[in-house]
Amino acid sequence: MDNYQPIPARPAPVKTVGAVAWMRNNLFSSIPNSIVTILIATFLVQIIPPIVDWAILSANWTGTKEADCTRDGACWVFINAWSQQFFYGSYPTEEIWRINLMLVLLALVMIASFKLPKAIRMKASIIAWLALPFIGMAILDGRLLGLPVVSTDLWGGFSLNVFMAAASIIVAFPFSFLWALGRRSDMPFIRSVSVIFIEFFRGVPVLSLFFMGSVMLPLFFAEGTNVDKLIRVWLVLIFFMSGYMAEVFRGGFQAVPAGQYEAADSIGLSYWQKILLIILPQVIKVSMPNILATFVMLFKNTTFLLIIGIPEVVQTLQTALSNSYWLGGHAVEGYLFVFFVFWASCFGMSVMSRRIERKLNTDKRD
Amino acid sequence: MFKQKTTEEIKASARKRVTGSSGAFYNNPQVRSIVYQILLVAGLLYFFGTIIGNTLGNMEAIGIKTGFDFLSAAAGYDVLMSLISFEATDTYGRIFVVGLLNTILVSIIGIVFATILGFVFGVAQFSQNWLIRKVAVVYVEIFRNIPLLLQVFFWYFAVLASLPGARQSLSLGEAFFLNVRGLYMPRFIGEELAWLFHTSIALAIAGIIFLRRWAKKRQELTGDQFPVLYTSLGLLLGLPLLVLILTGFPFQIEYPALKGFNYFGGISVIPELMALALALSVYTGAFIAEAVRAGIQSIPNGQTEAARSIGLRENKIMSLIIVPQAMRVIVPLLNSEYQSLVKNSTLAAAIGYPDLFNVFVGTALNQTGQAIETIFMTIVVYFVINMIISFLMNRFNNAVALVSR
Repeated sequence: MDNYQPIPARPAPVKTVGAVAWMRNNLFSSIPNSIVTILIATFLVQIIPPIVDWAILSANWTGTKEADCTRDGACWVFINAWSQQFFYGSYPTEEIWRINLMLVLLALVMIASFKLPKAIRMKASIIAWLALPFIGMAILDGRLLGLPVVSTDLWGGFSLNVFMAAASIIVAFPFSFLWALGRRSDMPFIRSVSVIFIEFFRGVPVLSLFFMGSVMLPLFFAEGTNVDKLIRVWLVLIFFMSGYMAEVFRGGFQAVPAGQYEAADSIGLSYWQKILLIILPQVIKVSMPNILATFVMLFKNTTFLLIIGIPEVVQTLQTALSNSYWLGGHAVEGYLFVFFVFWASCFGMSVMSRRIERKLNTDKRD
Repeated sequence: MFKQKTTEEIKASARKRVTGSSGAFYNNPQVRSIVYQILLVAGLLYFFGTIIGNTLGNMEAIGIKTGFDFLSAAAGYDVLMSLISFEATDTYGRIFVVGLLNTILVSIIGIVFATILGFVFGVAQFSQNWLIRKVAVVYVEIFRNIPLLLQVFFWYFAVLASLPGARQSLSLGEAFFLNVRGLYMPRFIGEELAWLFHTSIALAIAGIIFLRRWAKKRQELTGDQFPVLYTSLGLLLGLPLLVLILTGFPFQIEYPALKGFNYFGGISVIPELMALALALSVYTGAFIAEAVRAGIQSIPNGQTEAARSIGLRENKIMSLIIVPQAMRVIVPLLNSEYQSLVKNSTLAAAIGYPDLFNVFVGTALNQTGQAIETIFMTIVVYFVINMIISFLMNRFNNAVALVSR
């Protein structure tokens, strides 16, 4: 008796697999769909090649001055020539290592809070984060460390945006936590003070807060005290941020089941033990994505500092654009560059936020 | 009588039972809570007392008189754009109103266009067409992640500033002109019988509302559908058109005309307003698109499948099943996006659009030195606008909220 010879499976019809099927399903599934596809495709074909040509193929990459931009395309020489200004502002060239040191410290603390051994991770990283803004301030200013003093008018560029955003959110962290607790408190007066504070700083345009910092705050201090403008704006940013973060934390507190509070009470923990050891770790876990989203908002808002005359990166760009050696109209290149820097940072953070969310999501593996 | 005990009372009595005493008085939670609150009140009183004392002292030292008297003083400067008549001799009070109206104008334009963009791109992320999906995602991810200030500058300095001059204006049918100085549109000036036209529009809208109610009731009773959309469109266009023909077009059209170096007549939109409104709409639109996406994603797939199984067409599924349910998630998010749009409209200061913040906190503060008063008044205005938005959106939210039976 012959062995049974199965007939080999026939290949799937061309219509259902591979590129053809994908295009049928996703691009040309119906007549209106096909029309839209063709319209968008022609539009993209029309605009993408000229942009690529302008930005890459016929762009000017090398050189140091305006006259080096001889070809038709973008003049990236402009960005190159001003890159130090864009990143470090007018900070003295021989002291720039201090800014780099600060950024390295920031990165180190960030890595440490993920990679340290579990036993000391929480305590060590909290202390490191809280100390960071003040260490950064001391390094940049230099007075306390015996380095040459760099006055705050010279701080600027993209590093200032990063520093202001990071320093504000870190200092705002403990405050916002207290405001959120206050809003949940049983004590009527503490609760209403917290509500008023939070709603005030959330309801007011951030620009008017900056004006308060630069025009109104000096009036509040006793006569003769002179607080640096950057510090005043920093204070305002801390208040602004703690209002927003308090709401993020409030959401987090609400997400922790009541059983956790009751269980902590039943094993006899004190209020602060309960909050710090049981509740807070869970709150931080659930609010991590929102904390990052709030940070992205703050980071984008640091560009508003330009309006009160602080030389952050957009202000530096405008100075560069009006420089008499570079009057060739490089606005498009300049703005595209700053666009890209901000976009890359913010988009990167939102991708990171999604990854952290997945990593922290220990109870729902999906 | 049985009295409900509070948690604190239960805890206190439990403590008494365990320890045999109510403990030292400073361990009593009620005593503690009162002490904490008294401390907070004292601290706040001291803090504000110092601030107010310092402020008054400082203002006296610089020679600024506190109070709102400056509002009735002549401003002495002109504003770029005003919805009501304004001259340099008018008061700061009038400048306040001019700025307020400009803020409201740009906010309304921004909210309308941001909502349209947001819903179009939010729904487009669920399109069957791969290319449309990708375009929508690229729009959201690009414009959400670039600071608004940069976008305002981009539209103002890069796009609108590169438009042609007045003589080479881009024109549409010799009625609309777009050039570096702004957008010029024809204006309709009503004659005697123009009120008939306005009334007919109002009648048409009332008719549509009535028609919708009637059609809904009929469908609930008989299951028959009535073509509401086409009849409504017909009513909205037909009735006013009929009135226009019968009354013999009671309008004069004022076309913008090139005189010298610029266009005059008609309605003009200054580039500052265009740039700000564009940036606000595109930026907030990206956030609203995300809100719409989140709303649609929150609807379980079973809803779509159930709708398909009873034979609804794809566009009907979206408009009848998915979006109405998604609105419950979308509306609260929309509320906060609208509020942040209004707050962000203060960026007008960066390009010189005369909104409230710019003319009042910017210029009036500089001229009078009344920092506290101007900033206070401006902040109150933004609070009130946001409260109105919140109130309206909450009413809307109640209308779309899940009715639990």
